[in-house]
Amino acid sequence: METFAQLGAGFAVALRVDNLIVALLGSFIGTVVGMLPGLGPINGVAILLPLAFALKLPPETALILLAAVYMGCEYGGRISSILLNVPGDAGAIMTALDGNPMAKNGQAGVALSISAWASFVGSTVAILGLILFAPLLANWSLAFGPAEYFALMVFAFACLAGMVGDKPLKTVLAALIGLFMAVVGVDANSGVYRFTFDSIHLSDGIQFISVVIGFFSVSEILLMLENTHRGGKLVKQTGRLIFNLKEFMSTLGTVMRSSIMGFFIGVLPGAGATVASAMAYMTTKRMHDKEGTFGKGDIRGVAAPEAANNASACGSFVPMLTLGIPGSGTTAVMVGALSLYNITPGPMLFTQQPEIVWGLIAALLLANIMLLVMNIPLVGVFSRMLSLPNFLLVPGIAAVSTVGVYAVHATSFDLVLMVVLGVFGYMLRKMHFPMSSLILGFVLGEMLEQNLRRALSISNGELSILFNSPITGGLWLMAIAMVTVPPLLRRRRRKQALAAQAAQV
Amino acid sequence: MSDRIFAAVWLVVCLLLMVVGWGIQSEFSYEPVGPRAYPMLLLGLMLACSLAMALRPGEKADWPEKPVLIRIVLMILALLVYALLFEPLGFALATALMSVAIGRLFEGKWLHCVVGGAGLGFGLFYFFDRLLDVPLPAGLIFG
Amino acid sequence: MTTFRRLALLGTTSALLLTAASAFAEPPRPECIAPAKPGGGFDLTCKLAQSALMDTKLLENPMRVTYMPGGIGAVAYNTIVAQRPADENAIVAFSGGSLLNLAQGKFGKYNVNDVRWLAAVGADYGMISVRADSPYKTLKDLAAALKADPTKVVFGAGGTVGSQDWMKTALIAKQAGVAPQQMRYVAFEGGGEVTTALLGGHIQAASGDISEAVPMLEAGKIRILAVLADKRLPGDLGKVPTAKEQGYDVVWPIIRGFYVGPKVSNEQYAFWEQAFKKAMATPEFAKLRDSRDLFPFSMTGSSLDAYVKRQVREYQKVAAEFGLVNQAN
Repeated sequence: METFAQLGAGFAVALRVDNLIVALLGSFIGTVVGMLPGLGPINGVAILLPLAFALKLPPETALILLAAVYMGCEYGGRISSILLNVPGDAGAIMTALDGNPMAKNGQAGVALSISAWASFVGSTVAILGLILFAPLLANWSLAFGPAEYFALMVFAFACLAGMVGDKPLKTVLAALIGLFMAVVGVDANSGVYRFTFDSIHLSDGIQFISVVIGFFSVSEILLMLENTHRGGKLVKQTGRLIFNLKEFMSTLGTVMRSSIMGFFIGVLPGAGATVASAMAYMTTKRMHDKEGTFGKGDIRGVAAPEAANNASACGSFVPMLTLGIPGSGTTAVMVGALSLYNITPGPMLFTQQPEIVWGLIAALLLANIMLLVMNIPLVGVFSRMLSLPNFLLVPGIAAVSTVGVYAVHATSFDLVLMVVLGVFGYMLRKMHFPMSSLILGFVLGEMLEQNLRRALSISNGELSILFNSPITGGLWLMAIAMVTVPPLLRRRRRKQALAAQAAQV
Repeated sequence: MSDRIFAAVWLVVCLLLMVVGWGIQSEFSYEPVGPRAYPMLLLGLMLACSLAMALRPGEKADWPEKPVLIRIVLMILALLVYALLFEPLGFALATALMSVAIGRLFEGKWLHCVVGGAGLGFGLFYFFDRLLDVPLPAGLIFG
Repeated sequence: MTTFRRLALLGTTSALLLTAASAFAEPPRPECIAPAKPGGGFDLTCKLAQSALMDTKLLENPMRVTYMPGGIGAVAYNTIVAQRPADENAIVAFSGGSLLNLAQGKFGKYNVNDVRWLAAVGADYGMISVRADSPYKTLKDLAAALKADPTKVVFGAGGTVGSQDWMKTALIAKQAGVAPQQMRYVAFEGGGEVTTALLGGHIQAASGDISEAVPMLEAGKIRILAVLADKRLPGDLGKVPTAKEQGYDVVWPIIRGFYVGPKVSNEQYAFWEQAFKKAMATPEFAKLRDSRDLFPFSMTGSSLDAYVKRQVREYQKVAAEFGLVNQAN
């Protein structure tokens, strides 16, 4: 009951004119940013964050703006996946697999509308999950001390290891590079400078904004240059503008399942929209691909990843709001946004500033409706923007990214660092290092190390503090399960497949 | 091949960093772990991963053809020069120059690039600095 | 238009004329550099200067806030001294924390004499707190427990070893007769994490700044054992005893203020000093300062310069006592 009263209060915040305008603006910008190849939610949020601050928006309004952008990106990514066969953001990679073939078959309108609908259901399911689970988790979180946080970090990395299965060595190395980059700078415990090479610019560490923009914006435009020749052809939007009842019914089960799956993957710290959409797509393909239609324009292959990536985006707010641990790279940037306002996300937030939490949740529900409206009838407006020529788009991305870095760190050093990291990121991406594990390592690195050392300071070196409490014990067990269960399942599945083949022969 | 080269380079980097890291010491140590153990552990693990990668490289990376590679190097240079000129020249001028350079790399026509670049430089300066009040270096023209 | 408003308008106009007369040197693009990420204490300090100088019309050109994070002010300090020494537009925020790092040689090759200290606009004070249901009712209880078994009392704070927060606990421990090396101290990231750990029972006592602790105190969740001020604070916080009156001579103010580059001309320096002096004399300023949870501490020009230099010497002495002075220095 209390939840309803608080949600009501949240709507009072979200329905304020300024917040409504900001939600609308954020949804629009998010859709555009998500749609443009190369710019994903991290870029959108990272670029808008200093701007929101410079505009002197109050904290709840700034958060609503960023959250609307985040959700809008998950909507927008599908447009270029479907029409251009170039994923607008990482969460929409899977959408291209069946979306673009559908468009080429003259069903662009159906693909766009069903994916928008799936996105809407995914977000709605996940926001309801957020309303249900976040207060529960928040009640718990005072029990989280350094030892518990350390175990939680270990669990987060275990999730990553269990899910990115095909390149284990590069995944681990990428995570280690990220973890090591987080070490640079002043040690939060002893105050000693580590690996700064006497540069004061590195004294606070490698700046988060430079890393994010370097790895995700600069490296991306380098990749774009490489792909100018191969670039996909824009498919004109054709066919029926909206899906029919049969199509709706045939995807309903897929959408619901993928939404719930996406939500829980989003809640796991570190596993974001990319993992969620990939897993939802794979599961759906395994369940329904009887006639080999997947990859050739199966409507369920469009609905599943879109429901999942939106659900995981909303789900990643759960650990962010309750524990202060970002559930994704984008929410990591938002944690930064909150700290700009001297707000520490975590258990205190629910009791001390409920208007921020519940205002955000209510605004997510409203923005979701706005996005549905924007993305079905008005999708033509957005798709026209895709014909913006690269010789304008790329310098624009470069300039806006640089403004983002400069607005938060007014030094040339960070600009140069951004370019250098961009080149490094480009090379890593060419060699198929998973960037998600690198950025996760970077975001969680400091928390991992410091919480370990804090826990050991409390116990004066006694290791038992790390797994003695019920919470730490449970987290360790879950972490072990995360690492061991997926490979076992894979092996069993392979055996079954072999057995089935043998039976057929 | 590139996996092997990367692994070898990273191996050397890790060793060098380990030498640097050995010197980390807090003047006042009473905390059980201290500031040195954790980064050394990470470096050790990275070293092991690099070794494993050198011995068992993964799939081949498909590096772009030479003409594309040249343009990528040019683009990196353009971005570096942009970063360095950002403060001295000011946002508007530096952005205009960068836009022309990158626009040309993306095969825009000279006229389009110059007009577009000027538009981007001055338009974004007006938008961010004047309209949104995000301070940008004014440089030669507005300063 | 009522007479009153007309009078007010007249007043503002003449004030404008007056400032215009004295503003022979108003910088064209005034800028306040907050040497941290947006949102922290430095940002607050800049915002205070911004509203104070602009609401009172002492500045005609809009003052902007820019951010230059790095090493509690080290990046900004080096940038101003080396690259923009004569930039009359820029004032840079500093805090007691910057002075402490400066004293420990953590600001690179420059020292306290390399900039012109301009104005201090307010202060905060250190405090020691425990959870509301803690068995320690006074600072004496805590000190006694610490002396009996230093491993039973785990301190938490938002700063590294050698930071202000650490110094406060180390000074208290020393007065309680416990060597700082024996004390169990856990460094967290910022005050929010400390409070959470305190309420969760993961640490037994927290050291921090009193302004941050007010909301939790009002909510009845924590008890403040002592404020590290010379005398009791004004207002509601007057209920909190000082460490001094409980027999522990530890006073730890955290001043907040501004400096300008070393080669800024005397006229420009005088312009800024006058502007701050005038602004800080207005009742509006007191309101603005209170709304940012700062306590009165106004000082400008040469008296501030002397204060800062004395403070830095003081910090150097304390740091040397604890064996914290940077070897490179």
